[in-house]
Amino acid sequence: MKYIFKRLGFYLIAFVAAVTINFFIPRLMPGDPVQMYMAKLYQTSGKIDAETIAAVEKLFGFNRDQPLIQSYIEYVGNIFSGNWGISFSQFPLTVTEALSRGLNWTMFLMGTSLIISFIINNLLGILAAWKRGSRLDSVLTVGGQLMSNIPAVVLALLVSYTFARSEIFGIFPSGYAVTPLFRPANVMQYIGDVAYHAFLPVSCIVMLQLGGIMGMRANMINQLGEDYIAMGRAKGVPERKLMFSYGARNALLPVVTTFAMQVGFMLGGSLIIEVVFNYPGLGKVMLGALNSRDYPLMQGILLMSTILMLSANFLADMMLLILDPRLRKQGR
Amino acid sequence: MMTMEKIEKHPLFKFLRDNPKATVGIFLIAMILILTLGAPIFTKFEAGFRSDQYRVAPNGEFILGTTQLGRDVWAQTLYGGRTSLMVGVMAGVIAVTLSTIIGITAGYFGGIVDGIITTIINIAMVIPQIPLLLIIAALMGGVSPLLIGILIGFTSWAWGARVLRSQTMSIRNREFIYSAETLGESKFRRLFAEVMPNMLSMMSSAFVGTIVYAIMAQATLEYIGFGDPLSVTWGTMLYNAQNTAALQTGAWWELLGPCLGLIVLGSGLTLINFSIDELSNPKLKAQRIMAGYYKARKAEKTYAEAGAENE
Repeated sequence: MKYIFKRLGFYLIAFVAAVTINFFIPRLMPGDPVQMYMAKLYQTSGKIDAETIAAVEKLFGFNRDQPLIQSYIEYVGNIFSGNWGISFSQFPLTVTEALSRGLNWTMFLMGTSLIISFIINNLLGILAAWKRGSRLDSVLTVGGQLMSNIPAVVLALLVSYTFARSEIFGIFPSGYAVTPLFRPANVMQYIGDVAYHAFLPVSCIVMLQLGGIMGMRANMINQLGEDYIAMGRAKGVPERKLMFSYGARNALLPVVTTFAMQVGFMLGGSLIIEVVFNYPGLGKVMLGALNSRDYPLMQGILLMSTILMLSANFLADMMLLILDPRLRKQGR
Repeated sequence: MMTMEKIEKHPLFKFLRDNPKATVGIFLIAMILILTLGAPIFTKFEAGFRSDQYRVAPNGEFILGTTQLGRDVWAQTLYGGRTSLMVGVMAGVIAVTLSTIIGITAGYFGGIVDGIITTIINIAMVIPQIPLLLIIAALMGGVSPLLIGILIGFTSWAWGARVLRSQTMSIRNREFIYSAETLGESKFRRLFAEVMPNMLSMMSSAFVGTIVYAIMAQATLEYIGFGDPLSVTWGTMLYNAQNTAALQTGAWWELLGPCLGLIVLGSGLTLINFSIDELSNPKLKAQRIMAGYYKARKAEKTYAEAGAENE
C-alpha cells in the first residue's frame, strides 16, 4: 500500500509540474498570448469589450492587478477543476471537449499498438535470447534497433505512400478512422472498417517499437545465467517451461519499468503518425491547434499527454505489483 | 602484395574486420559527411537554385527530380543534410553536458541532493517532449534550426542523466574513489578526474543516441510546419513536399532524398552505438564468441552425420 501511495504522490507532483510549465511558458516567451488571442477573437467575432478582455486574461491566468502567485494558484485551481479554457479554433467548444474527440482514437491506436508490440517484442526477445549468437539473433536485435531509429515521420510517409497511395500496393485507406458517411449494417462491419483504417498507423507504431526486442533479450540472457535456471535444468524442467515460466517472468520486470519511457516515445511518434495518416486523434487536434495558433488547446494537449503518460506509469506500477511479490510486502 | 599484408596487420583493419557493425556504421556516416560537407563537388546547383522545370521525375540533369517550385531535390538533400547534422550534434552536446553534470552530481552526493534531482529527472521523463517542443515552437512563431537544436538539447537530457546517475552510484563505492578521498583530492577533481573517465563509453553512447533523437525531432517539428520555411533542411523538404501535395500527385522523388538521408543517418549512428556498447560491455561481446561456438558445434554435427553415413 505504501508503495502505491508513494507513486500516487509522485504523479501528483509531476502533474503539478506540468501545469506549472504550462503556466510559465507563455510568460517566458516573446509576444503576448493575450494580445494574439484577442486578435484572433476579433477576427472571428468582430467585436471585443472590456468584459471579454477580462475573461481572456483570467483564462490565461494573466491579471495585471494581482500578484503572480495569486494568478498561479487560480490557474492551478482551474486546471484541477477541469476548467481548461475555451478553444478558439473550435470556438464554442471548451478545450476538454475538443480534446475528448481526439483522445478516444489516440487511446485506441496506442492501446492496440502497445498490446501488439508488447507481445511481439517480448516473444522475439525471448527467441533471440534462446538462440543467442545465431544469425536469427543478429537479424532480430540489429533489425529491431534499426527500425526503431527511423524517424516516425519518414516511416509513416513511406508506408502511407506505398500502401495507401501508390497504384500497385495502395490497398489501404489514406485517411480517417472510419469510412466517411459509412452506414454499417452491423457491429462486425463497423469493427472491420475501424480495423481496416487502423491497420497502417498501428503497424507503423509497432514497427517503431521493435527496439524493445533488444531490452527483453538482454534481460533474458541475464536471467539465464542465474542459479535457479541451472537448478531447473538439473531438475529436468522442460526447456520451454524453463524459458517462459522461469526466465521470462523475471526478465519482464525491468521491461515493465522502462514501459513509461516507451510510452513517451510512442506518444510522440503516434501524434505524428496520426498527422500523416490524417487520423482523427489527438495528433490531428494538435495540428489544427498549431495551425490556428490555438494556445489554450495546445496547452490542453500537453496536459492531456502528460496525463496519458502518468496513467501508463500507473499501469506499469500495477503490473509490477502483480509480477513482483516483494513490492507487495513493502510497508506491511 | 607487401602493402596488402601491411594493411592486414594494421590495428585499425583488425578492428574493422572484427566489428562488422562498426564498419558499416562508420561507412554510412562517412558517406553522409562526405556528401553533405562536399556538396558543391557532387551537385552543380545551389540549395536555393530554381529551374524552369517544375516537378519533373528524376532524369540525367536532375538526379532526384525537381520540386513543385523547380528546386533540385538532390542539391537540397545535400545542403539540407548539413543543417540536420549540425542541429543533431549541437543538441547532443547540450544534452550530454547537462545529463553528465546532473547525473554525476546526483549519483555522487546521494542523500537529499540525489532525492531532489531524481524527482526532477523523473518529472522530466513523464512530460512528453514532442508536444512540449511544439508548444514552445508555436509560441515563438517558427524557430530557426539553431534554436531547434538548443531546445531539443535542453529537453532531452533526462534519460542520459538517469543512466549516468546509476552508473556513478556503482562507481562511487569502488576502492580507487576511497583512495582518492584519502589522498585529499578535491571534490571537483574526484568527480571529473576519477569518476567521469569511467563513464566515457556511456556518455558517448548517450551522445550518439541524442543525435539520432534530435535529428528525428527536428524533422518532426519542421514537417509539422514549425521550422524556418526559408532554411533548407530535410524536415522543411518534407514539409514543402507535403504542402504541395507531392504524395497525392505521385511525386515520390520529392520524399526520397530527405527520407533516405534520415534513414541512412539514423542507421549509421545506431550501428555505431551498437559497437560502442559492445566494446564497453564484455557480456555483449560474448555474443560473437558464442557465434563461433555454434558454428563449430554445427560443423561437428555435420561431420559426425557424414561419418555415420559412411559407415
